[in-house]
Amino acid sequence: MEAAFDYKKQILEPIKSLRGAPKDEMYVPGHRTCAGCGPALNYRLVAKAAGKDTIFVGPTGCMYVANSSYLCTPYAVSWIHAQITNGGAVGSGIEAAYKTMMRRGKYNGPFPNVIVMAGDGGSVDIGLQAMSGLMYRGHDVLFICYDNEAYANTGIQTSPTTPYGANTTFTPPGKAIPEGKTLFPKDPPQLVIGGHPAVKYVATTCVSYPLDLMNKVRKALNVDGPTFLHMLTPCPKGWKFDEKLTLEIGRLAVETGMWTLYEWENGEYKYSHIPKKYQTVGEYMKYQGRFTHLKEEHIAKIQAFVDEKIQRIKAIAVEAPIPTPKAKA
Amino acid sequence: MAIKVPKDREVPFGAITPAPVRQQELFITSNWRIIRPVIDHEKCTRCLTCYIVCPEPCWSYNEKEDQMEWNWKFCKGCQICINECPADSLTAVPELDFEDGVVRLEKPF
Amino acid sequence: MAQEKMLSGCAAAAQGAKFAEVEVICSFPIRPYTAIMMELARMVANGELDAEFVHGEGEHAQVSVALGASAAGARAYTGSSGVGVTYAFEVYSPAAGGRYPLQMAIADRTLDPPGDFGSEHTDAMSARDQGWLMGWAATPQEVFDNTLINYRVGEDPRVMLPQFVCQDGYFLSHISDKVILPDLAQVREFLPPYKAPHPLSPLCPVSHGPQIRPDQGAPMDAQRAMTFLEVPKVIEEATDDFNRIFGRNYDPFLEKYKMDDAEIAFFIQGAHANTCKSAINHLRKQGLKVGMVRPRWMRPWPTIQIAQALSQVKAVGCVESSTSYGGATRGGNLIHEVRATLYDLENRPLVTSFMGGLGGDVVLLEDFYYMTKILSQMVKDKKTHQLVYWIGFEEE
Repeated sequence: MEAAFDYKKQILEPIKSLRGAPKDEMYVPGHRTCAGCGPALNYRLVAKAAGKDTIFVGPTGCMYVANSSYLCTPYAVSWIHAQITNGGAVGSGIEAAYKTMMRRGKYNGPFPNVIVMAGDGGSVDIGLQAMSGLMYRGHDVLFICYDNEAYANTGIQTSPTTPYGANTTFTPPGKAIPEGKTLFPKDPPQLVIGGHPAVKYVATTCVSYPLDLMNKVRKALNVDGPTFLHMLTPCPKGWKFDEKLTLEIGRLAVETGMWTLYEWENGEYKYSHIPKKYQTVGEYMKYQGRFTHLKEEHIAKIQAFVDEKIQRIKAIAVEAPIPTPKAKA
Repeated sequence: MAIKVPKDREVPFGAITPAPVRQQELFITSNWRIIRPVIDHEKCTRCLTCYIVCPEPCWSYNEKEDQMEWNWKFCKGCQICINECPADSLTAVPELDFEDGVVRLEKPF
Repeated sequence: MAQEKMLSGCAAAAQGAKFAEVEVICSFPIRPYTAIMMELARMVANGELDAEFVHGEGEHAQVSVALGASAAGARAYTGSSGVGVTYAFEVYSPAAGGRYPLQMAIADRTLDPPGDFGSEHTDAMSARDQGWLMGWAATPQEVFDNTLINYRVGEDPRVMLPQFVCQDGYFLSHISDKVILPDLAQVREFLPPYKAPHPLSPLCPVSHGPQIRPDQGAPMDAQRAMTFLEVPKVIEEATDDFNRIFGRNYDPFLEKYKMDDAEIAFFIQGAHANTCKSAINHLRKQGLKVGMVRPRWMRPWPTIQIAQALSQVKAVGCVESSTSYGGATRGGNLIHEVRATLYDLENRPLVTSFMGGLGGDVVLLEDFYYMTKILSQMVKDKKTHQLVYWIGFEEE
């Protein structure tokens, strides 16, 4: 049995403070993203944490179109456009190429960070198949789902991570359908965890917690194999809030339980932050125009969904509870 | 069958372009803003929050001068930095108040 | 040392990929091309070929994985058949426009509905306008040879295009014939390592495929169209080199059979051309001056060469193994391009078409005799009576 080939994987150190963060920007000013864009800030922080030995794959979405209009990009590292359908597959191909090229001496390393920067649609809707294929095959690639909870670039349409009750152009509230969106969202990390044996690390982040975010990116990149990050990136245009509140909204998401910050590593959950006392979901929703049409009964449904999630997560930290059948709402 | 493409419509081979280094000069966004963040260096504690929260990014820390520096060419005036600054050292000032305010470009991009 | 083996078209394709020392392979099973991937899997498992064998989750993923690998600078190989070819359709234009010279082996198969494992050219033909190089082989030897020639042409800096290397499902993919396998040294002389001009690399950062303005769209299209003006010259150089190094005798663009004094010609692509040649031998014994032109390339369409070859005859029968529903003749695809090629000639032949080899049909010697009768009648009457004949279904 021959010795395993040394792909010279770089190990990125944890960032202990803002002052200790790398100074180089790998995502530079000069892009057509909205003022206050959550995904743009997220991209910048991911790129900063990853460093110069990085290749990004950019499936179609806001982080493709808005960043690359026109014939120019803000990526100081190599980047390739992918279809919204195939981010995971293109990333797999790049990783496989580097494996062979390094074995044949065509490239001397270090093995580059390959990061797929896919939106919620490109991760768990139209891009789900490719994402799962990558996770299953064990490529050394970081797959990021930057979640602005809609197909934003096409003018805000519902996606599988859009919350129940959100007003989008495909789920507008009206006389016949007062809540707007009637479906509850998919849970991207849960799609990955447990069903893909090659995956050893999955985490959630929020743009309002930049050090936590950058360290999770580095941790994921350090893992030898596929990793998945579900990253909350509030969208002023899609969620209809004042653009200066992007980080405020992100914090409220965590403080109300609408978003949970955790890591899953080799079968174990670890929480990055659990609020001592959760605020009501109304505190989160009141700033966002996409929720202003909701009545008491709809908000109660959302609160119940969050409460159940909080209980489930608290339970998972100790043991996995047996799911009980629920009456249809 | 030779054709001539006007220079401003040219597309490079395979639509492959060089990567930017420090900033993307082909897409200036200063003319987007209607306010600009003004910093009070006395109040500023050099916590680097503005630097880390800017999506462009437009804030950097000049180690030699020990001062925060703002990027006039790209700031979109989103006010995230103003909202997040823990020392209240940033204020939103209308762009039109400035001599070099509201950069009018020949072409938007 | 060169060795001679009995190989099916699929096995020949796999040998071609092995000799081309491909670096990334992406597989997904679908009849009848699957055997190519099974053979490559065996080679990789045994250490005969050092490549990444990626189990794609579908054909769309196969082409996408190959695209990513090619963009990073690796020689990428994939393949499919039938609805697999059409499932991957979204990625064809990005691969060609992005100038990624990956290779896709197609063992053609009838499209659904419903399931039909038999050979038909429609699957690959439906993608012929996406900007790839494309051509059909007629023998397992040619499958092997085309694998190498296509990488050489596709990876040439003047070309930089992906390639569909096509063969008839079953008739070629699953029937064996003699193949001479060369020395690796000969292959290395013919086919230099792939060098991407701007690979995705940390060494020299690049952005592949930023959004363009609508007024930049036409220039992008024109860039892609103009490239095909360069390709024929590269095909000629490559084929001459190939013939010299491997001792073959390929015409770069066409196989011409008994065309010197032909009055009637078949225009036919793929493995059924072998039957056609046998039929011609029989017909010649009866004094009929029949010949055959077999295009080795579908894209770029060898316009000048086809015009030259067919201008001398009085009637041409295009054997259509693909469909174009609602098209000008309500028949197949070849007749449109042949007629367009011949339109400006001073003396242009009569051109008709014969739907044959669809769905998995064999094209029999008797079918070629039938077609010859029709073409002869056209010559006599100096007129085309029908634009399309459905072999086996026409009322006598």
